[in-house]
Amino acid sequence: MDRILSVSWKNVWRNKKRSLIVITAVMLGTAAGVFTSGLMNGWVDQRIRSVINIEQSHIKLYNPDFLKNEELTNYIKGVAPLEKYLKVNNKIKGFSKRIKIMAMAATSRGNTGLMLLGVNPDEEMVVSELYKDIVPDGGQYLDNNKPGGIFISDKTAETLHTKNKETGKYKLRSKIVFTFTGKEGEMISQSYRVCGIFKTSNTAFDQMCAFVLDKDLRSAIPLNENEIHEIAVILNDNSDLSSVKDDINKRFPNISALDWKELAPDAGMMSEYMYIYYMIIMGFILFALAFGIINTMLMAILERGKEIGMLMAIGMNRSKVFKMIMLETVFLTMVGAMVGMAVGWLLITITGKTGIDFSSVEEGFEAIGWSSVVYPNIPAGFFFGVTLMVVLTGIAASLLPARKALKMNPVEALRTDN
Amino acid sequence: MSVIEIRDLVKIYDGSAVEVTAIDNVNLNIDAGEFTAIVGPSGSGKTTLLNMIGGLDSPTSGSIIIDSVDITRLKSKQLIDFRLNNIGFVFQSYNLIPVLTAAENTSFVMELQKREKSLINERTKSILTDVGLSAKMNSRPNQMSGGEQQRVAVARAMASGPKFIIADEPTANLDTKNTEKLLDMMEEMNEKRGITFIFSTHDQRVISKAHRIIVLEDGRIIKDEKKQ
Ligand SMILES: Nc1ncnc2c1ncn2[C@@H]1O[C@H](COP(=O)(O)OP(=O)(O)OP(=O)(O)O)[C@@H](O)[C@H]1O
Ligand SMILES: [Mg+2]
Repeated sequence: MDRILSVSWKNVWRNKKRSLIVITAVMLGTAAGVFTSGLMNGWVDQRIRSVINIEQSHIKLYNPDFLKNEELTNYIKGVAPLEKYLKVNNKIKGFSKRIKIMAMAATSRGNTGLMLLGVNPDEEMVVSELYKDIVPDGGQYLDNNKPGGIFISDKTAETLHTKNKETGKYKLRSKIVFTFTGKEGEMISQSYRVCGIFKTSNTAFDQMCAFVLDKDLRSAIPLNENEIHEIAVILNDNSDLSSVKDDINKRFPNISALDWKELAPDAGMMSEYMYIYYMIIMGFILFALAFGIINTMLMAILERGKEIGMLMAIGMNRSKVFKMIMLETVFLTMVGAMVGMAVGWLLITITGKTGIDFSSVEEGFEAIGWSSVVYPNIPAGFFFGVTLMVVLTGIAASLLPARKALKMNPVEALRTDN
Repeated sequence: MSVIEIRDLVKIYDGSAVEVTAIDNVNLNIDAGEFTAIVGPSGSGKTTLLNMIGGLDSPTSGSIIIDSVDITRLKSKQLIDFRLNNIGFVFQSYNLIPVLTAAENTSFVMELQKREKSLINERTKSILTDVGLSAKMNSRPNQMSGGEQQRVAVARAMASGPKFIIADEPTANLDTKNTEKLLDMMEEMNEKRGITFIFSTHDQRVISKAHRIIVLEDGRIIKDEKKQ
């Protein structure tokens, strides 16, 4: 092993008490930073998963006119070739064709505006995991063999009073009447019976959407098989997102393909920038810790003036003195940071399994689409980033002490009596 | 053939209040293989002279030529390398690297010189054996007596293969017995390995061991006598 390296390492442990104080501070700071990042990342991950698996899917296809104006007649043009393409593309796991209509829902005791989505459960269950989010005693998902059913959220059930306020029991099979505008502007009325109740972590989504069988909705308007408004596409791998989207946009000029980052810009932004945000948090923590590290190193250098003078006298050149002090500072920083990262990782691993429930602390999370139970996690790459930052912090913190050491004059340093 | 040629050497400290002429026009030659003591009362300029010979301090005027290199003209960077390869140092308060063992302290300068690993190990062993510390090779400075530490310091100074070794009051912190042991060992190294020693001292017993005695007073050489 390089002698200067080993001397630097041993120097870290010369004043054990003093070093351990800094190491402990670095450890606590790093652990806190890592865990905070893991917590936020857990949130963001859940949000993104819910965006992809429930709210949006990976890519949605529209008639460009429908995006400007959600008119009933702005169907997707050329469904047949598009469907053929979606079926043969092996990057695509599945897709679901939907009809979307804004409608007024009414029961004998309440009413609300809803986005009525007509879906085929066989297709829809591949694309969306919503069918898994049925509340306890909340009935069943849509079934092609049981026409006339509607799948609504717990929130909608409350609004429409299809939920008993006192007992919290759902009035399944209760009737909801929908009114909406047909192709020619005529008013259409159609009723459904509640078959199931869902609840996601996103209240806004819940308040907005209700699901019925596409054939039920189609017969009421009426629409034929090729008249659809939206195709939700789910991929095998999120990393193919832009390549598939771009390919569709290129091949089908009459189609607008939007990915989830465009459909849910908040989640898109987070997935792009969270990593930078974690690094900024770590940066702040390390910046604060750097002052403690600098202070400790300055004390060490001052104490060791005579020794450094001796080293320069016997022929240790400036760059080696610099290297020695820089390495010592990096080691001092690294030891605490490594333990801190391990502790942070351990906390993330444990709470990542058990989850942390914030529902008692904060009611408002779900209103903005955030789950109130968080499962912290962090990608391994994060630790590489942090390690790099720790090394850089060590190097930066060594500059001042190293400068101090290099300013020493061997004659002066050796004269001081011990 | 002189290893050190000192010509018209002057060192003036112009401190805040008064100028002190610490070395006042010194001319001196030191030959290879000498065992020389620089003596004189406190403040006579012994340390100042040795520091300049050792390339740690620069003179106000004059030249110090070591093996035809005028070290007063070297830049500080070159001077460090020059010291590493040509001059050995022994200090009054031992000044070993506390985190390293006797063997590691001895190897250290050779590692700075980037010598070959096997050669370093071999040489370290032989030198430490010569100074009588073969049993203490793996001891840290705080596990050794002052006398033992100073012998490691001499071993370290020899290890780099210097042209001469400078020792400013090497026995000042040692008791009578250890002083004698150190001097005997240095003399043995001088005879056996042909190492040139220049040391300063106040101690009469140390002076009596020297082969040449240079007496300083107020920065001037007032006496220079060789024995035999
Ligand atoms: N850095 C300095 N600044 C000013 N004057 C100095 C400095 N170093 C030494 N001197 C002066 O130079 C003179 C010679 O000092 P030096 O240390 O060389 O003496 P010395 O012979 O080694 O003394 P001692 O036996 O006490 O070690 C003294 O008068 C001292 O006060
Ligand atoms: Mg002196």
